[in-house]
Amino acid sequence: MFGRIILASVLLAAIPASAQWFNVTTPGTPRTPDGKPNLSAPTPRGPDGKPSLNGIWQMNGKYLQNIAADMKPGEVPYQPWAEQLFKARQDGALGKTDPAARCIPGMPKLDALPYPFKIIESPGMVMILFEGFTTFRQIFTDGRELPKDPNPTWFGYSVGKWEGDDWVVNTMGIKESTWMDNAGRPHSDALHLIERFQRHDFGHMDILLTIDDPKAYTKPWTVKEDVRLIPDTELLEYICVENEKDFGHLVGK
Amino acid sequence: MSRTRRISDTLSANRIIAGLILAAGIASAQWVHYPTVGIPRTKDGKPNLSAPAPRTQDGKPDLTGIWDVLHNRPCPPEGCADMWIPEEFLNIGFSLKGGLPYQPWAAAIVKQRMAENRFTDPNAHCLPTGIVRMYTTPLYRKMVQTPGLLVILNEREAMYRQIFTDGRPLPEDPQPSWVGYSTGKWEGDALVVQSSGFRDGLWMDANGSPLTESGKITERIRRVNFGTLEIEITVNDPKAYTKPWTVKLTQLLKADTDLLDYYCVENEKDGPHLVAK
Repeated sequence: MFGRIILASVLLAAIPASAQWFNVTTPGTPRTPDGKPNLSAPTPRGPDGKPSLNGIWQMNGKYLQNIAADMKPGEVPYQPWAEQLFKARQDGALGKTDPAARCIPGMPKLDALPYPFKIIESPGMVMILFEGFTTFRQIFTDGRELPKDPNPTWFGYSVGKWEGDDWVVNTMGIKESTWMDNAGRPHSDALHLIERFQRHDFGHMDILLTIDDPKAYTKPWTVKEDVRLIPDTELLEYICVENEKDFGHLVGK
Repeated sequence: MSRTRRISDTLSANRIIAGLILAAGIASAQWVHYPTVGIPRTKDGKPNLSAPAPRTQDGKPDLTGIWDVLHNRPCPPEGCADMWIPEEFLNIGFSLKGGLPYQPWAAAIVKQRMAENRFTDPNAHCLPTGIVRMYTTPLYRKMVQTPGLLVILNEREAMYRQIFTDGRPLPEDPQPSWVGYSTGKWEGDALVVQSSGFRDGLWMDANGSPLTESGKITERIRRVNFGTLEIEITVNDPKAYTKPWTVKLTQLLKADTDLLDYYCVENEKDGPHLVAK
């Protein structure tokens, strides 16, 4: 079904090359007797007893292609216009209208890139540095509220808080032109994303992503994206605009 | 009221610069006016920017904050633009008597680049700034100091730079990159950052002062008070310069605000209009 999607155009624009910090030893990584990272060791916790999410992670790549990869046909509760637009986009015929094809990724697609990302907790704000597009998100944890009528941006406005051992991130104010996956699932300016980060052990995390967008979907729907820790490495550089040759070959208005 | 950083034609005399930075406009956002926690304030509630530099738990200066360039370039008669470049944006050697000590080929290429209206400037084509121009671009950057790592989040292209302070050595034969590889260690109250591993073809200013792949850069970063950062940059690149040279850049804290989106490639219309003379 998705074989014709122009995934390559969006993601192959730049290929990260090897670097010397590609193999480094990540301090604080639990190891087995043979020195290998023990990815099934318990979840590390901060001084406040909450799980620490720090580390370099990599998303299961299938969700970039298809955010609904684990759902059955008919389960995505499209509004009619959203389904129509999705069908028009999914064969690549409108590839040129995906902002990511012009080297501007948006949320929630950014989270689903199959390149590593690094979570760094700091007081009042958690950064996510993405290898893909060499870009970042800021998720504020200083208690501020989401803005009421924000100027839409590519990644939106994000605040995070703990609910038990889940780190819950609420995001809104995302530009409506972004595609939620390479298949072209749309959203409206009313999109509210709820990401629930659940670190199950040292090496494994799920992100439960709820798409709450009454203009584009008849009810909120949730997907579970699995993420694994990538120990002993570092992010590489990825410059989408560098030597970019694909855009001229994309079709659509 | 809102900080829109509208770009007016400050640069009419240098209209090509407009091509370098006009590619994307910046709109206002709701967190543009949000009080920064932990800022010392005067009695009237304003940030006290001359208060002492903050320190982290280990006693080192904390460089965390949002930083802007020191606006040392006079405004045109019609007034200052929000996107107000410093002299070093045009010429990184502005403060040096006699200018930068170019090797002959480097002097020639700078002359050529200026004669060509800076047509080949990577910035004008939405490519990364490199670490020197990051500091002279009139957009904000946020430094976030964490144990083992200083992160610089840039408004421009929403890109980041990592400076490792975890004791790792610089790579010996790195894959050349736009941002290079950076490690830092404290010498007294200065964070001394060593960087290398740059790709060929980087410009350090809009005049086109080159940095080659053999270039090494040392930054000495000091937070002299709450509101001021002094960054001494030494460029050691014998391929392009006859001797190492050092310039000092001042950065000013922007309190009670946050970074905005800036995408050069968004609605970019300038590229096709850039021409050589």
